[in-house]
Amino acid sequence: MNWKPNSKIIVQGITNNLGSYYTTRMKAYGTNIVAGICPGKGGQHLFDIPIFDLVEEAIEKVGEVETTIIFVAPERSLDAALEAIAAGIKQIIIVSAGIPPLDMVRLLKKARSTGTLILGCGSSGILIPEKMWLGTIEPHFYTPGKVGLISRSHSVCAEVALALNQAQLGQSIVVTLGKQRIIGSSFEQWLEILDRDDRTEIIVAIEHPNGLISPTLADFIAKKIKKPTIAYLAGLEVPIERNYIDALSIVTTQVSYSVPAINQEQKTILALQNAGVKVAQRPSQIPKLIKNILKKN
Amino acid sequence: MDLLEYQAKELFSKVGIPILPSQPIADPRQIKKLQIPYPVVLKSQVRAGGRGKAGGIRFVENTIDAIAAAQYIFNLPILGQYPNVILAEARYNAKEEFFLAIVLDYQLKRPVLLGSAKGGVEIEPLLENIQKVVVEADFSPFYARRLVTKMGLRGKLIQSVSAIVEKMYRLFVEKDLDIIEINPLGVGVDGEVMALDGKITINSNALVRHPDLYSLQRANNNFTNDSQSLSALPSPQWLDYQDESGNIAIVCNSLGLALVTWDLIVRDGGKPRGSLVIDRATKSELLPHYYIARSLNTALEKLSEVSGIKAVLINILGNEEITGSATNAIVDYLQLLQQKAAVKQLAIEEGSLDGSDLGSEPEPLQWIIRIVGGKKDFPEATFTEMPVRWIDDLEEAVSQTISLAKIE
Repeated sequence: MNWKPNSKIIVQGITNNLGSYYTTRMKAYGTNIVAGICPGKGGQHLFDIPIFDLVEEAIEKVGEVETTIIFVAPERSLDAALEAIAAGIKQIIIVSAGIPPLDMVRLLKKARSTGTLILGCGSSGILIPEKMWLGTIEPHFYTPGKVGLISRSHSVCAEVALALNQAQLGQSIVVTLGKQRIIGSSFEQWLEILDRDDRTEIIVAIEHPNGLISPTLADFIAKKIKKPTIAYLAGLEVPIERNYIDALSIVTTQVSYSVPAINQEQKTILALQNAGVKVAQRPSQIPKLIKNILKKN
Repeated sequence: MDLLEYQAKELFSKVGIPILPSQPIADPRQIKKLQIPYPVVLKSQVRAGGRGKAGGIRFVENTIDAIAAAQYIFNLPILGQYPNVILAEARYNAKEEFFLAIVLDYQLKRPVLLGSAKGGVEIEPLLENIQKVVVEADFSPFYARRLVTKMGLRGKLIQSVSAIVEKMYRLFVEKDLDIIEINPLGVGVDGEVMALDGKITINSNALVRHPDLYSLQRANNNFTNDSQSLSALPSPQWLDYQDESGNIAIVCNSLGLALVTWDLIVRDGGKPRGSLVIDRATKSELLPHYYIARSLNTALEKLSEVSGIKAVLINILGNEEITGSATNAIVDYLQLLQQKAAVKQLAIEEGSLDGSDLGSEPEPLQWIIRIVGGKKDFPEATFTEMPVRWIDDLEEAVSQTISLAKIE
C-alpha cells in the first residue's frame, strides 16, 4: 500500500462528466493528479492537468504513477484497467459501477499475477481527511482522527462519520470497496492494511445485508487483526431480498423459487462477537463503543 | 434479464445443444398450423418458476385438445404473470433427468459448474445430490468431465454430458451470462441427451455489447419490471419490500441510507410502509444535480398515491449542490400542496364545494425532513398550514417521525 500525499495519480476517463466533475474537485482538495487519459484528446488540458491518449504516454512524460482512478464506461473499464496494469501501475481505483462480472473475473486474474491492488468496481475511492482525496467520497463529512472506516459504499460511512464527529472522533482513512457483487480488494485485505497503518487506532467495518461480512471474516479478524474492530451491519431489519454471492446459494434460490431459510446474518453477528468484534446497532452507538474501548486501553 | 424458455433454447441450439422440435405460439389459432407431430407439450412462457405445478404445462394428443389447452394456458396467470407466448414442443420420454448449471461465484470470484444426477422438478433430491466444480484457471473440457464424474455418471454419458457443459460454458462466457441452467437434461433410451428445459439470465450491465440479446430484452419488456437498466434516467425505486400495515414512508438518496433509516425506525418501535430510493449515480454517468430535484418530485408524487401513510421521513445526505436542490424541490412541492389545500378551503367557505364530502379526506401527512451536508440554514419558507419539521439529527428525526405516526 502506497497512499502518500505526494503520490502521483492519473485519471482515466478524465473528460466524461463524472470524471471531470470529481477530478476538478480532487485537484482543488490538493490531490496530486498529474495527468488524465482520454483517447483522441491527447494534448488538451483540464484545469492545467495535461491529457494524454495513452497511459504509457502519460508515464513517459510525468514519470512513475502510483495510482489510477478509472471513470470510463463500465463496458470499457476492463480495457482501461488492463492498459494501466500493462503500464506498470500498481494501484487501481475503479469508480465505474456495473462492470460485467466476467470482465471483473478476467481483471482480477490478471491483477493477482501482477500484484496489482484493485479497489472496486463501483468504489467511491479512498479519503484521508484533509490530506488526500481519491474518488467520489464527499470529503466534507469527515474530520481527521484515528478511526479507520471500511465500507462498501460511502453513504453509510458518511452517516457513521457524522456520529463520530459529534463525539470529537475523527477518521484516519475512509475506504469504500465497491457496491458490486464482485469486487477487487476485500475487507480482509483492508483490515490488514489498516491494522498496520500508524494513523489508525480503531477500525469500523460497515456492510449491508448478506454481503461480504460473514462468519469467515469474523474468523479472520480473530486470527489476524490486533487493533480493536467494530462492525456495523445496516439493513438487518429490512426484509429486502438478499443477494447471495456463493454459487450454491444462488442456484438453490434459483431452483427452489424461494430464499434459503438460513439465518446467515444472526450467525455472522454471533461469530463477530465471538471474535471479539463489537457489533453496533446504530451509528450513534459507534462513538460510545469506541470510547469504551479507548478507556480500557 | 431472464430469457424465456424458448429464447434460451434458441441460444442452446446455436451452440449445438440438442433441443426438441418446437414452435413458439403467440395466438391459440396458430395451433392449427403446428409443424410438430402429436403428441405435443404446451408450455406457458413466463419467467416465474413452478409453472408445471401451477398448471402451465399441458400434454395434448390432437388439435382440438391443443386449442382448448392453449386457451387455458394463455388465461392462466403464474405468480401474476400471463404468457405472451406458448411453446409447443414434441414429447420426449426421458429415462433419466439431470440438472446442469453454470454461475459465477462472487465469493470465489470464479465461475462454478454445478450438476445433479437427480434433475427435474423435485427440488430436494436435486439439491441433495448437487456437485460443484470451481473453474480455477482458464476453462478446459476436463473441468466438465470432472463435474460429470462427480455426479456419478459413467461410460458414454461422461462424454455426452460433459460436451453439453462445454457448450454451456461457451455461451456463459460469450454472452456474459449470470446464470445458465438446463433442468432437466433428458437422457433417452439410446443414451442420447436433450435439453428439455432451460434458464438463462443475462447480465444487464453487459447487454450493451450484445445487440441480439438487447432486442430480446426490448421484446420482453412489456412484462418485466427491470427496464430501468436501459432507460436514460433512473426513476425513484421502491425497495423491493413494502409493508401494507406500516404507516411511515422513507425517502432517501441512497440505498445505504434507506437501510440505516429503516433499521432505526423498526428498532425504535415504528413501522415503515416502504422506502423510495433516489440514486444520483448511474454506472459511470453523473446525473446533473438538478436531477435530484426532479427525482424527488417524482418520489413525492409516488408517495401521494400510496394509502395508509401518516408520516414521511425524508433523509438526504450530500454536498451543497445536492442538499440545495433537494431542499428547493421539497419546499416547492409542499408549497404547491399548501396552495391546493388553501384553494380547496376557500371553495368550501364560499360554498362552491361541499365540506361534508371531505369526511373521507385523509389526514394531512406529517413531514419530517432531514437534509445534511450543505449549509446549515433551514429554508425560509414556512408552512403554517402544514405539519413540516426540519431536523438535522438522524435519531431525533426518527423519534419525531415515530411519535407523529402514532397520533390517532
